[in-house]
Amino acid sequence: MNCLEFRRQLGVDPHAGGDFAQHRHECSRCADAHARAIGFEKAIRSAFEIPVPERLAESILLAQATNAQRRHRQFRQRATWTAAAAGIVLAFGIGLRLQAKPLPELAINHLKKEAFVLGKTQPISDESIRKAFDTFGVTMHDIPAGASFVACCPVGKYVSVHLVVPESEGPVTLLYLVDDHSEQRLDFIKDGWFGRTVPLAHGTLVLIGHDAAHFDQLETSWRNALRTATYKT
Amino acid sequence: MTSDRSFPATGKQRQFDALVRSLSGDLFRYAYWLSGDEALAHDLVQETFLRAWRALDDLRETTAAKAWLITILRREHARLYERKVPQFTDIDDVDVPEERESQLPEFAGEEGLIRSAMLQLDPKYREPLLLQVLGGFSCDEIARELNITPAAVMTQVFRARQKLKVILAGGKPQGDVVELS
Repeated sequence: MNCLEFRRQLGVDPHAGGDFAQHRHECSRCADAHARAIGFEKAIRSAFEIPVPERLAESILLAQATNAQRRHRQFRQRATWTAAAAGIVLAFGIGLRLQAKPLPELAINHLKKEAFVLGKTQPISDESIRKAFDTFGVTMHDIPAGASFVACCPVGKYVSVHLVVPESEGPVTLLYLVDDHSEQRLDFIKDGWFGRTVPLAHGTLVLIGHDAAHFDQLETSWRNALRTATYKT
Repeated sequence: MTSDRSFPATGKQRQFDALVRSLSGDLFRYAYWLSGDEALAHDLVQETFLRAWRALDDLRETTAAKAWLITILRREHARLYERKVPQFTDIDDVDVPEERESQLPEFAGEEGLIRSAMLQLDPKYREPLLLQVLGGFSCDEIARELNITPAAVMTQVFRARQKLKVILAGGKPQGDVVELS
């Protein structure tokens, strides 16, 4: 490297090494120029280093934390709204699906799901039956005898009191669908089950069994009991 | 500072904290010399780090963090001017401040003279010099960052130093001016 090349390099980067450093050691005039250039470099660097605002890092970290929390909150809100929207769509879909199914199918499906109660034969207390009807605001004054099971069950879109009455030809399931007025009286056979829907003043009674021999007698006794019941409006 | 957060510090958060604490000063200075405005520089640095946080997973080598952050900052600065709508004020309504920038404390003394001189430099000269002196980048790295050739970087930093000397000498060339071919 000659002096001209050294002076050029000095203006480009006075901290360069290699040939540049070697020439500096060999040429006193260039070494002096280098010393001046280094002094100028220090002055430039010092001038570039303007004061940094106090607590700059803290303010950035605070902004990041606030921003992250806001994004997290927005994400959660979006997720909640998405879930709610999906829930509504799902519920609407299920509602349509349930509504689309006829009552006999809903009743048989429910009976199949709770088939284990058909084996119950021990009579249950009138009080437990009264409690089940009370749940839906129906106060029963007379309770027909013979039930071995009672529970409050959802049946499709309906709520119901689910009863089982063991008979000599097999158990008969009774579902009282609260506040259902839409069904017509109907005798049906589905999946090997006999069934009957009986519209009443404040709901619908559904009877299902492998044998329909006791349907008339059970319909009469429960129709009378439900007619004399008190309904909360 | 961590008490301001309602969630525990993760590895990513710790990495980010370290970046902010070690590089925010340099980035602020870089932003200041880029924009010439302290408040704007503060905003630029903050926005740069917020963007960096969102893209932190892209940073594979922590040794490259400074160059990565400077790239983000430069883009953010450019974006600022894309977004900025100039507001025009009638010249008669403009108040002329008594205090000039050169009279501010950081512009007093010899350092102040150099700072004033730097602000007079054309940005195309100031920025490569800034990257070299403050950022510690080589000519090749500056060339990549500014998307120009290394030879152009060498010419610009050379001219930047010469022009600074000229401005500091009161507009007259000082000593021998040797330009690169």
